[in-house]
Amino acid sequence: MNQISGQPSPDRRLRRHTVPEPDSAPPADELFSVSRRRFLEAAGFAVSLAALQGCGRTPTETALPFAVQPEGVIPGRSLTYATTCPGCSAGCGLLARVRDGRPLKMEGMPEHPLSAGGLCAIGQALPLGLYDTHRLRHPLHRGEQSDWEEIDRLILQTLQQPGLSDGAVRFVTPTITSPTLKASIDRFLSRFPDGRHVMFDAVSCSAIPDAHERTHGVRVLPHFRLARADVIVAFGADFLGTWISPVEFTAAWRSRRAPAPDRPTMSWHVQLEGRMSLTGSNADRRIRLAPDEYASVLRHLHGRIRSMAVGSPPDAAAGSAPLPDRDLQELADRLWEARGRSIVLCDSQDVAVQTLVNSINHHLGNYGSTIDLERPGRQRQGNDREVLRLLDDLKQGRVSALFVAGTDFTHNLPERRSLAEAIENVRLVVSFSERLDDFSSLAHFVCPDHHPLESWADAEPVSGIISLFQPLLAPLGETRSILESLERWSGGSRSAGDIVRSFWETDVFPRSSAESFQDFWDQAVHDGFAEVEPTTETPGDFNAAAVVEVDATVSDDEYCLSLYSKVGLTDSRHAHNPWLQELPDPITKVTWDNYVCVSPAAAGRLELHDGDVVILESETGDTLELPALIQPGQHDRVLAVALAYGVRGTDRFAGVGPRWIGAEPTVSEGGVIGENAAGFIEARDGTLRYARNGIRLRKTGRRHELASTQEHHWLEVPPRVAPYGAEMREPIQSTTLAAFARDPSAGSPESHHQSDVQLWPEDHPKTGHAWGMVIDLNACTGCSACLIACQSENNVPVVGKDEVRRQREMHWIRIDRYYSGTGDEVDVGHQPMMCQHCDNAPCETVCPVLATVHSQEGLNVQAYNRCVGTRYCANNCPYKVRRFNWFEYPHEDELQNLALNPDVTVRSRGVMEKCSMCVQRIEEARIDAKRRGAPLLDGDIQTACQQSCPAQAIVFGDMNDPNSAVSSALNSPRRYGVLEEFNFRPSVSYLRMVRNREEEQHEGGEHV
Amino acid sequence: MHRTVLNIILLVGLSFSLIVLISGMSAWRLPDNQQGYAPPQPIEYSHRLHAGELGLDCRFCHTAAEHGRHAGIPSTDVCMKCHRFVTASFDVMQDELTQADKEKRKPKAIVSDELQKLYDSLGLTDPQQPVSDSLSTSIPWVRVHNLPDYVYFDHSAHVTAGVTCQKCHGPVESMERLRQFEPLSMGWCVNCHRESTENGINGRAVRASTDCAVCHF
Repeated sequence: MNQISGQPSPDRRLRRHTVPEPDSAPPADELFSVSRRRFLEAAGFAVSLAALQGCGRTPTETALPFAVQPEGVIPGRSLTYATTCPGCSAGCGLLARVRDGRPLKMEGMPEHPLSAGGLCAIGQALPLGLYDTHRLRHPLHRGEQSDWEEIDRLILQTLQQPGLSDGAVRFVTPTITSPTLKASIDRFLSRFPDGRHVMFDAVSCSAIPDAHERTHGVRVLPHFRLARADVIVAFGADFLGTWISPVEFTAAWRSRRAPAPDRPTMSWHVQLEGRMSLTGSNADRRIRLAPDEYASVLRHLHGRIRSMAVGSPPDAAAGSAPLPDRDLQELADRLWEARGRSIVLCDSQDVAVQTLVNSINHHLGNYGSTIDLERPGRQRQGNDREVLRLLDDLKQGRVSALFVAGTDFTHNLPERRSLAEAIENVRLVVSFSERLDDFSSLAHFVCPDHHPLESWADAEPVSGIISLFQPLLAPLGETRSILESLERWSGGSRSAGDIVRSFWETDVFPRSSAESFQDFWDQAVHDGFAEVEPTTETPGDFNAAAVVEVDATVSDDEYCLSLYSKVGLTDSRHAHNPWLQELPDPITKVTWDNYVCVSPAAAGRLELHDGDVVILESETGDTLELPALIQPGQHDRVLAVALAYGVRGTDRFAGVGPRWIGAEPTVSEGGVIGENAAGFIEARDGTLRYARNGIRLRKTGRRHELASTQEHHWLEVPPRVAPYGAEMREPIQSTTLAAFARDPSAGSPESHHQSDVQLWPEDHPKTGHAWGMVIDLNACTGCSACLIACQSENNVPVVGKDEVRRQREMHWIRIDRYYSGTGDEVDVGHQPMMCQHCDNAPCETVCPVLATVHSQEGLNVQAYNRCVGTRYCANNCPYKVRRFNWFEYPHEDELQNLALNPDVTVRSRGVMEKCSMCVQRIEEARIDAKRRGAPLLDGDIQTACQQSCPAQAIVFGDMNDPNSAVSSALNSPRRYGVLEEFNFRPSVSYLRMVRNREEEQHEGGEHV
Repeated sequence: MHRTVLNIILLVGLSFSLIVLISGMSAWRLPDNQQGYAPPQPIEYSHRLHAGELGLDCRFCHTAAEHGRHAGIPSTDVCMKCHRFVTASFDVMQDELTQADKEKRKPKAIVSDELQKLYDSLGLTDPQQPVSDSLSTSIPWVRVHNLPDYVYFDHSAHVTAGVTCQKCHGPVESMERLRQFEPLSMGWCVNCHRESTENGINGRAVRASTDCAVCHF
């Protein structure tokens, strides 16, 4: 320091004052030694000059216009392209907003027959996955960068080697709904005498098609039509969260969950499950049942329903059921009452159990109404039997070439090590992975596929509904579409676009009713999908003989492990997306980790606390070390662990979040995010099982602090600040359908004390628009799609695990999750909470610099550039929705900046921010209307959270327009405002939750 | 001795900065105020000639002003609509025509230095050649009117409301080289919004909001 500042070191100063040597010349370094005072003078002078320099011109900025402007492109205005979501195999419709050549925001397609305008968190997070520098930019040959010509030459050469091409060639993919890709793979494999395509789903539903093969003679996944179901009984199937096609199922489920005063009906949904799933948290009745008890309950249920249907005596051999007789009879009666309008779903991977489910649905007459076998779904086609045969072949060294696309094969299977060794003996291993994952690091050749937003493709998620993917930007790297790679290796040279188009011309167009192919194609590209003649299956008559006796004995093991996929991270491919990693789990609210969920009773028995590290040990000796998390509502015997963690390459997140002296890395040195639980998947009777017994649990005594948001931003109001005479109201209100039918306003607190005191004089009435929002808590499932939609739209940064632990997450929407009830039987309520844009806003009155003020249209606006960061507003906000930028939160690298929405300011350090009700969209719509010369209509403005909500739970609009959707929602007898009794006058209202129950429930919840 | 050295350095520094400062005093502005900014452009394009003398409407080239946020710098193929044929100034081309007529020969193609830069950027060897996207590169125009990143200004809203281009950009039709005429500061914007709400624009009543969220979000 001394040398840099030129300040003399103490010993030298001592010498100068005590031993003067006037005659000798000063040493060289003394030439620049000056007094402290002098130094400060010079420094001050330099600083003031530098400051004056700041008054000069800002740096020169160039503006590059197009050389040749494409037709219809207006700089700064986004274009919307219709395409398909590649996030999973559900094939939801996607509207991609592309601004100046870059895809920025993914939205749901309202016209789509399946997803109906919804899009889940994974779909919303696509842009960040696209702008990811960790995606491979070149093909790799044995880990070294190569080029396509070389790769093609080497692969073709290897394939021609004697003994290879006539050996077993296996092509592994997850479920492929794309008919073009399937045809391309078949064409490629047809060259080989023993070429086979194996579909492997990381979380498989293989038992359902297997069971239908037995009972109906066709191996298909039926299309479940929940919109037609009055009674839904689900055994474990998390159909609102992750199971098969959650967005489609949410829209269908929600369509039967809107009771009106004149028609107080809704579906009755019972969930029987071991862990607390998102679906279970929304059920009218939730019954705790360990996965190994499903068989027993289903057998009893089957016996009762069969006896009602055909008059045969109930199943006498079923033994005692783990459910009370009363509950079983109620299930059977209500299912029977609603026969033809009911559905029984089950996620068991035991084929015998699934045949029981089929038999129940058959006796209830659900086939043909709520369960469609003739137009089946294609969303899960994985065949575990084939996968297990392949694993066997690999281990026996019978496979000569292995191609894997779209899945991290080794990561998602048990016995990873022996599998990796077996793969080493395969002579040709090719991966199409977009990044260096667990499998592709074993592969000889990695031929990275384009990101799905960069390429042409198609999908047929349900027979007859066929959709297109279109490229939204030129590929960012030297990647190549898998269609093109297969084309080259099959001797062709067409581009992916030509391959898809010519397939549609020969195979899809004949199924349509269009006159010319060009018209059909143009319309399909415009719409993003086409409805064509379905390729129907002809299921045979129900084969009652296929329903075999299932083993209904419940094991007396202490624990039953349930492996599940987590909302937002259903697949290891998405583990590289920091938005999804920081998305709080809808139930546990934990970010950046996986963990073992244990029930409160089990935790009490073991003296476990949240974050205590435990070891799970299977009979085969596999171990897994994870922190524990106490999960109310979980079955006492069940331990639940999420899959798709421990993904190779997630050590990249070590540096995510701000760097400061107290910062702790999100990932420990050399570690990855979470632990891979796939080692505990069990292969039994031809399927991969995600539930197993024989697990031992051991405490280690160590701790691992989880970054959970569940106790952040409490709304609880201490009784001492309650206004006089006002009864404290809970933030979440609920009622029962029975009470609602008697009195539509049932469930509202009895004593109404509404103060009319206005904080402001009536000198600024809202004469124009008054923006408001209504959120239907009966529709909201808590799926958290809105959270990522908001993050993508509003440039909300990722802060990292350590900052989340410090309650500094930046999400503008949080989904508050409330448990009510005592003991282990809990009811769950989900409540999206964002800035309530209060008319009497407590934040506005305390801002010393007027950085947060009220707009003429009722918005509580935040001027970032005026904010000095006192944080008074956040302290005074009763809803705890304001977020402070403690740091700059830069992206990992510059490429990710392309995902930033240019319509929204990127906030800097020291600035407060919060939900703006997407004011940029309001302004855009207003200017659009002005340009058209038309008034702003209801529905012209959709906030980001509203647009993509799969349940359409959010309504936004002008409260001054009596005909707007938001006004009619405000007139609902179910409307209430959170903390209304304080007279904040929030612009966001909620509609009370209605549970389809007879008995009165206590309202409100306990924020646990 | 070392003190003398330091003093000399400080003195030289002081006098140098004073000279710089005093000469800069004439254009004293607050930080970010770019009023009067007129940087040299890659092509010496004259708004005076095109918008003034030839009377082209602003929106002939800045087509996006009516439709989008940015007025947009015209793409180079827009220039080629005229400059495929007009390759130099009228006088020079006229002289050559007369000269050629006199000498009974075919007129030579005359290309001015500035327009040559245009053709070069498009990769054209002959102005008559069709423009191709693959050969061309964008011309790096220097941005003159540049609002800070936290301000959202939409041209189409103002053009639709009847605000003339000159209201903010000044007499562009008389500028040889484009210059920022107004301060484009927040106070200046708000004043105009207030006046317009009070007096209307061209006799038409308008509601120009002064809410923060109209420009800042």
